[in-house]
Amino acid sequence: MTAIEGAAGAAEPKTPAPSGGATPRPARQGPSDLTLSFVDEATVRRTAGAAADPDWLVEDRLAGLHAFDALPIETNQLYTTYIDLRNARLAAARPYTSPALTDTRASAAKLLPDGAAAYAEIREDRVAALVLSPEAREAGVILETLADLSGRDPELFRRLLEGGCALPENDKLAQMTRALWSQGLVLYVPDGVRLERPVVLRWVVGAPAMALLSRTVISLGEGAEVAVVEEQESADGSAAGDGSAAGDDQAFFAGTTEVQIGAGSILSFAGLQDLSLRQVAFQHRSAVLGKGATVRWALAQLGSRIIRSRIDNRLEGNGSAVEQAEIFFGSADQIFDLTSYTHHIGRDTTGNLLSKGALADRSRGYMKGLATIDESAHGTDSFLGEFGMLLSRQARSVAIPSLEIDQPDCRRVAHASSVGPVDETQLFYLESRGLDPEEARKAIVLGYLEPVVARVPLESARERLRELLEKKWDDRIVARPTAAAVA
Amino acid sequence: MTTSREIVSGEYKFGFHDEVDYLEETKAGLTRETVEAISKFKNEPQWMLDFRLRAYEHFLSRPMPQWGGDLMQIDLNKIVYYRKPSQGEEKSWDDVPDKIKKTFERLGIPEAERKFLAGVGAQYDSEVVYHSVREELSKIGVVFMGTDQGLKEYPELFKKYFATVVPPEDNKFAALNSAVWSGGSFVYVPKGVEVPLPLQAYFRINAENTGQFERTLIIVDEGAKVHYIEGCTAPIYTTDALHAAVVEVIALPGSKVRYTTIQNWSNDVYNLVTKRAHAHANSTVEWIDANTGSKLTMKYPSIYLRGEGATAEVISVAVAGDGQHQDTGAKAIHLAPNTRSRIISKSISKGGGRTTYRGQLKVAPGATGVVASVRCDALLLDEGSRSDTYPYIDIQEDDTTMTHEATVGKISQDQVFYLMSRGLTENEATNLVVQGFLEVFTKELPMEYAIEFNRLVKLEMEGSLG
Repeated sequence: MTAIEGAAGAAEPKTPAPSGGATPRPARQGPSDLTLSFVDEATVRRTAGAAADPDWLVEDRLAGLHAFDALPIETNQLYTTYIDLRNARLAAARPYTSPALTDTRASAAKLLPDGAAAYAEIREDRVAALVLSPEAREAGVILETLADLSGRDPELFRRLLEGGCALPENDKLAQMTRALWSQGLVLYVPDGVRLERPVVLRWVVGAPAMALLSRTVISLGEGAEVAVVEEQESADGSAAGDGSAAGDDQAFFAGTTEVQIGAGSILSFAGLQDLSLRQVAFQHRSAVLGKGATVRWALAQLGSRIIRSRIDNRLEGNGSAVEQAEIFFGSADQIFDLTSYTHHIGRDTTGNLLSKGALADRSRGYMKGLATIDESAHGTDSFLGEFGMLLSRQARSVAIPSLEIDQPDCRRVAHASSVGPVDETQLFYLESRGLDPEEARKAIVLGYLEPVVARVPLESARERLRELLEKKWDDRIVARPTAAAVA
Repeated sequence: MTTSREIVSGEYKFGFHDEVDYLEETKAGLTRETVEAISKFKNEPQWMLDFRLRAYEHFLSRPMPQWGGDLMQIDLNKIVYYRKPSQGEEKSWDDVPDKIKKTFERLGIPEAERKFLAGVGAQYDSEVVYHSVREELSKIGVVFMGTDQGLKEYPELFKKYFATVVPPEDNKFAALNSAVWSGGSFVYVPKGVEVPLPLQAYFRINAENTGQFERTLIIVDEGAKVHYIEGCTAPIYTTDALHAAVVEVIALPGSKVRYTTIQNWSNDVYNLVTKRAHAHANSTVEWIDANTGSKLTMKYPSIYLRGEGATAEVISVAVAGDGQHQDTGAKAIHLAPNTRSRIISKSISKGGGRTTYRGQLKVAPGATGVVASVRCDALLLDEGSRSDTYPYIDIQEDDTTMTHEATVGKISQDQVFYLMSRGLTENEATNLVVQGFLEVFTKELPMEYAIEFNRLVKLEMEGSLG
């Protein structure tokens, strides 16, 4: 029971399930039920064997498996009533168990995207590209698969995977990835190295009934600076316009971003997720920030039938800061389940977090943000904003912006949230300037999501994100009259 | 006037304790027999006994809540679920037993009555012992009596509305209350009647380990208007008492109800209360709710906006000191078009106390044109205190306008410094700043209550600077 459940229960009386039907129905899937038949010890050992894992890593995987078995799907009671995984059809999913090996001839042929310092592309279970600019290579930057690093420098490999970038221990799905990851990338930027151009990481996935579990480790030494653009996209083109017939086997992608960031370093990370509507995706991003370090997250969630993401920011070092901006744009019956934990531990830390979503059709957005300020965190500045815009009567927006404060000596602690329709005044103004109502609405909605677009550090990625958002808007309009066909 | 010495001592001024001979009481602990005995003592109709037993079964099957405050210290087997301090209800003040009267006198009830009471229902442990309704109220048809009496005198009206707002299955403590309820107020305001003065009821817990399970049912008919005030004080005991009340309010079309609470249980009471109102078309429901006492309070006054054009307002204040946890908040559930709600929450944590705002704002499909706002402000006065904010905002209509804001901070040193430069001591200056912070609440109270509340806050604040 929760306070919330009590209210919901009384507001919407549960009707008893009809009984006595001629054909027995399959058991109804509960919102928190998730069938993942491949998560077992045999698969873990097979994955470890294929990667020729050292003993410590096999143990680490098994520890992840045990945690997976022991944990409920949601350990935070604040959120247990807001889980919805009913659209996940993963019973038939099989994981890739062998690590992708780098085909150097193939990847050499791939040129660096314009303006990038390094580029990695993983397509399903193979490495399609892995390139560093001469500038990055000379500076000692490493970008390679975890499998390659394990063979080349086992000690660095172990240090990176064990060195404080642990996945959240209370998260069942993160522990699943810890147990069963087969692919992975590492980006290492040595002390004092500041890359002017961004590093681009691209994941192209979506094979039906296949599960890709990967880890990405980003490690910055002291005084380093780098911008990363991560693109997650569908093998068969953009997410928009996909059919999503119930019962079809979905593709599954669980990926991490594990950030260790040294004193005074700056990481700008832009993530563009545009997976297919036949995709279920789980993301775990965590950053442990040293003294004076800054992490800037700019995340755009557009694709996936279900996207469940969790971000953990641990502001351990004095004066460390996190800026986080996340947007999502839902259509059809997409579910965006976006959680972030920001933990202020050091003195004079800053957390500035913004979530904004536009929800069309029957899409749902859950914004779950929790800022925790420990007693040690004097001088904290914490702001959490969660804003929703509903574009359809069937859409639903849930915001739970929470605070847990143990230290009164703060610079600022606040959160804000609003939900509303497209602003009529703005609409009127744009129409008075000659835009037709549809164009005006589009301009307002895209303008509303622009704060994240502007933070993407690579021009081409920025342009692509704008195009995707426009396409999303246009497809929404087309999809509207045939919404029933999607179901 | 209270002397400064009394204030500084910080002694709980309502912490006296009378020895009362209890004429009828159940054995400690809760069994099916206890529930049957309560119903038998009260000579209730069969349907009420059936209702109690159904609630009892549900109570047993429902697990303890794992969220909110720490409930593990409650020993449900030590609690006496029913005791009756005197025979029947008293019609006049003179007939009230002396010991009980003394307690009320120390709380100032007769005075308050002379001044502006419209009626008094003072609850002493589990039975209404004193009750008076002014003649004029009776004349205009207003019913204000103990809930047990309401069941006897207005059986049809009672049965029509009882447990329709808070069913026993709602939560574990609503189930407990439904099984063993005793006392509380029953109010009916007929169509179009505006009750000119607030209806008031004092509630007290007495006797160690007595649970108090009052049940209040307020029905406000079409176009009627009423203000109900509930104030609580309790003696201090060394072991923990439990207060699990249920309050149901039905605001029929076009009516207006305000329910004001000043909760000041002593700091060993578990206060687990379900308060909920149904607001029908064009009605207004307001919960004005302050929590300064108790060891743990879990209370989220709710309004279900069921009829078009209904309005909801909740002003919630919580003050938590050493060893206290105020887990409070509000819920506004919009189920009909063009409904409005406003929630304002103010909390103060000090001396290691903990306040939690836990609220829900929901706009259900079909509830178009909703306008809603939530504002939560928290003050943390010192290290070791804690403040949490957990708002749930669930919107399922695209033309909803909803805003939510929350801030947490310490007392502005600029303000304190300014006031000190004007000759106030640091203590006085801090008190004044806190009173200003809470003014949104106090200005809604009748004057006597505002004075009493400010005094309570001042007492609560004592020592917080040392």
